[in-house]
Amino acid sequence: MLKLRVVLVLVALLAVAALGTGVTAQSTAPVKIGVIQPLSGPVAASGNYVRMGAEIARDWVNARGGVLGRKVELVIEDNKSDPKEAASAAEKLIVRDKVPAIMGAWGSSMTLAAMPKLEEYGVPMVVETSSAASITKRGNPWVFRISPPSEMEALGLEQYVDKLGVKRADFLAVNTDWGRGAITAFGEMLKKKGVVVGAAEFMDQAATDMNAQITKIKGTGGDTLFLTTSVEQITLVLKQAQEQRLARKIVTTGGSSSPNQLIKQAGAAAEGTYHILFFMPWFPEAMPDGRLAKAFVDEWSKRGHPFEGLTEGFRGHDGIATVVEAVRLAGKDEAKAIREALWNVSITGVNGPIKFDKDGPAGKESGQSKPSIFVVQIKDGKVTLPDFVAKR
Amino acid sequence: MFIGLAALATAPAWLPSPYHLHILIMAGIFAILALSLNLLLGYTGQLSLGHAAFFGIGAYTSALLTLSLEWSFWAALPAATAAAAAAGWAIGRLALKLRGAYFVLVTISFAGVISLVSVNWMELTNGPLGLPGVPAPTLGPWSLRTKSAYYYLVLAGVALAWLVCRRLVHSRIGRAFLALRENEALAESVGIDVTRYLVLAAVFSAALAGMAGSLYAHYTRFVSPEVFLFTYTVTMVIMVVAGGKGTLAGPLIGALLFTVLPEALREATSWQWQMLAYGVILVLLIFFLPRGIVPTLALWTRR
Amino acid sequence: MEALPQHLVNGLVLGGTYALLGIGLTLIFGLMNVVNFAHGEFYTLGAYAAFAALALADVPFLGALGLAILTGVVLGALTERVLLRPLRGESIDSVMLVMIGLWIAMQNTELLAWGGVAKSIPHPFPTAPLTLGPLGIAPLRLFVLAAALGLILGAHMIIHQTRLGRAMRATFQDPDTAALMGVRIARIHTATFALGSGLAAAAGALLGPIFLAYPSMGDLAALKAFSVVILGGLGNVAGATLGGLLLGIAEELGAGYVSSGYRDAVGFVIIILVLLFRPSGLLARAERIG
Repeated sequence: MLKLRVVLVLVALLAVAALGTGVTAQSTAPVKIGVIQPLSGPVAASGNYVRMGAEIARDWVNARGGVLGRKVELVIEDNKSDPKEAASAAEKLIVRDKVPAIMGAWGSSMTLAAMPKLEEYGVPMVVETSSAASITKRGNPWVFRISPPSEMEALGLEQYVDKLGVKRADFLAVNTDWGRGAITAFGEMLKKKGVVVGAAEFMDQAATDMNAQITKIKGTGGDTLFLTTSVEQITLVLKQAQEQRLARKIVTTGGSSSPNQLIKQAGAAAEGTYHILFFMPWFPEAMPDGRLAKAFVDEWSKRGHPFEGLTEGFRGHDGIATVVEAVRLAGKDEAKAIREALWNVSITGVNGPIKFDKDGPAGKESGQSKPSIFVVQIKDGKVTLPDFVAKR
Repeated sequence: MFIGLAALATAPAWLPSPYHLHILIMAGIFAILALSLNLLLGYTGQLSLGHAAFFGIGAYTSALLTLSLEWSFWAALPAATAAAAAAGWAIGRLALKLRGAYFVLVTISFAGVISLVSVNWMELTNGPLGLPGVPAPTLGPWSLRTKSAYYYLVLAGVALAWLVCRRLVHSRIGRAFLALRENEALAESVGIDVTRYLVLAAVFSAALAGMAGSLYAHYTRFVSPEVFLFTYTVTMVIMVVAGGKGTLAGPLIGALLFTVLPEALREATSWQWQMLAYGVILVLLIFFLPRGIVPTLALWTRR
Repeated sequence: MEALPQHLVNGLVLGGTYALLGIGLTLIFGLMNVVNFAHGEFYTLGAYAAFAALALADVPFLGALGLAILTGVVLGALTERVLLRPLRGESIDSVMLVMIGLWIAMQNTELLAWGGVAKSIPHPFPTAPLTLGPLGIAPLRLFVLAAALGLILGAHMIIHQTRLGRAMRATFQDPDTAALMGVRIARIHTATFALGSGLAAAAGALLGPIFLAYPSMGDLAALKAFSVVILGGLGNVAGATLGGLLLGIAEELGAGYVSSGYRDAVGFVIIILVLLFRPSGLLARAERIG
């Protein structure tokens, strides 16, 4: 029985400790916004880029006097690329830090795991990266997404399919909800345009050797390969495709490919590839709000952040800008008011106009904005606007 | 001792926030997991590094039964436990001839295969998209969705698991386990059917893990292949060994400590240092208390 | 079927590095009985060391390789001395937990130091692949295969031809007699761990330029290393060599002909099968050490 006694003593001690830390700080002046991102683990790079973008947004807002006369403070939590942690982080932010709004959580699984907490406590979250369709279709009225679900992304490419000359397409995607969602969405869009869809191969998120898949794809006789995965794996696929002399058009989707990093790391293997992005840091003037885009790019380099991160970092900026605007419209930093205000938000972020439409089952709709979608090409070791785009 | 029991029983009342309750609920689920792993590791001396597989099987079974077939939670829970137990039986039989490092590797491989199946078998598990919206349990007209209610459910689960372990350990079966752990050849020579007891241990161990999986699924209400992540198994092992394997209180302490620790680190440090601190603390803890917390404490109090 | 030779070649290159990882781990796990979960981190360390030497200090390629291996050896020796030696009497699980802690600590230190963005490791080889009929193999990969084979040979020689190797085998076969014969047991333990870690670092430095360097690259590698060790038999260096090559080829063929999603399952299934039918490994007949 001694051992059980020990357990119970420890519980009692912990109880005392908990009571001690339970003395929370009084509500202080700053407006707090929670941020949940994968800051460690396999996708730490992306999560950190989003964080950096968010910090720029915060600093700009504060430089202009903050919102409602108060400074904005970001409370940043790491979801460790694990859905369970995303849920815990959300709980901590809402309950301990008392944030009235959150931005997160990067990966679709992490966002989905955190969503029940939003409903439980009644706190809105702006989703800045996740692409799974289910996020806005689950009837969670506290979810507002500014990133495009895969279907929207596929629609964004539709206008270029003929100009690209795609007749037979194959897919190679990372084996996650994002990769699979992309294959489904793009596959449907392509089929509607009369394109034959050939092979759909997958790679594990941590895989480094895709030669087997590339060899298979080589045998299909297709002319275009759609690639959906993180920039590291894209680099590897491009290099390995070059080694195997896979000669066909390559289009990366998802907006996570960072063409600069590809040029640096894949070199000649990246030549001629197309990329669907949501931000073109090389041509900020071509973005809907050219001035803002340029200012963002300049501030980013001023802080010494890697240029490659811009294609993801802007999401952090737009997410925070959206929340801040909602707070301003609501007139107070209170969760329910902010949620209602989000429906009235109409601003232009780095990506373009942000305004939420209803999405999902009636009565419990989530918000979904319609982001701008761009296509670039790597030519002569530089990022360019493809001919068919530039001519428009 | 009563203070402790009373504290646990009334936790929702005096805990300062639902967040703390959330931590306790997660600690409880992991306590069941740690207890289950302890059966194998602590009592029969076999290390299973694939325990996340049983946890995941329990979680998915429970989620799928309640989502697709609309079973009640109270039917899904035993079903999940049974499914995991079946898997445990399979592993037990499979690993008949294997001991030590080889058993470890079979368990890792098993978990690896199950993990890949859950990611790739889209029709069944929805693959990486996961299963959102797992319903919360209801008891008659009351929904157990609230934290306090769920806390008591998990507490009951922990109590049940602990009681099962205790009865098992103090019974003839438990003595057979110990004989197995200490000296297998000797045990066999006195007529103990080694394989039968190993399989038994695996079955109970897996069953408890499956129960924990079901509780997890209905609490977080979202199940995805990440439940098979190796980090879950690693966490369980840490809890058992750091708490003190081969004891009944060790896994409980380990579970509490290592659920609270990452959350406390969230509070104490900014995100850059959290995991690094966790690793360092772990190293230091084992370095100074290599037998685990409970056995070391027991040693001290004996002086 | 024309893709078969290509698959085989790919598999060999990969397998060579798996073998390096496996040999290192079989020494540490098989001989020293340390469940070294930090093995993957030494692999990562090797890659980052090579990166630092090549990209930051402009050291020539071979020199960078050597530096990476040295880093692995030194840090391995340090780890053994500081963390493992004091815990030598403790249960295998406690040691395992310390290695888990080290794994977490090392990986997150790398994350802090280098950031999460993957680093591309520069190399002097031309990128255009050499072609032999239908086969395409990049010069870099050819070099990696050659280097891996060379290092494997070197490891074999150390273990079988040198005094150190003999002392190692003696220590783990019969420590008491070895001690009586004047072998410094403690030193041998340090040397063994250092050698194993050095090999892991070598694998990382070799694969780094082919792939990329990032903090979590060691996780999958470590898992594969454990598979190779079991395949070959604990403590069996020749077995680990063969096992590594086989795993590489099996993975390639599995991904190419079965399903790319289940690629890593191949390794697992192999382990299960081997353990069911030949639990002591493929080369069970060979002596336990070497």
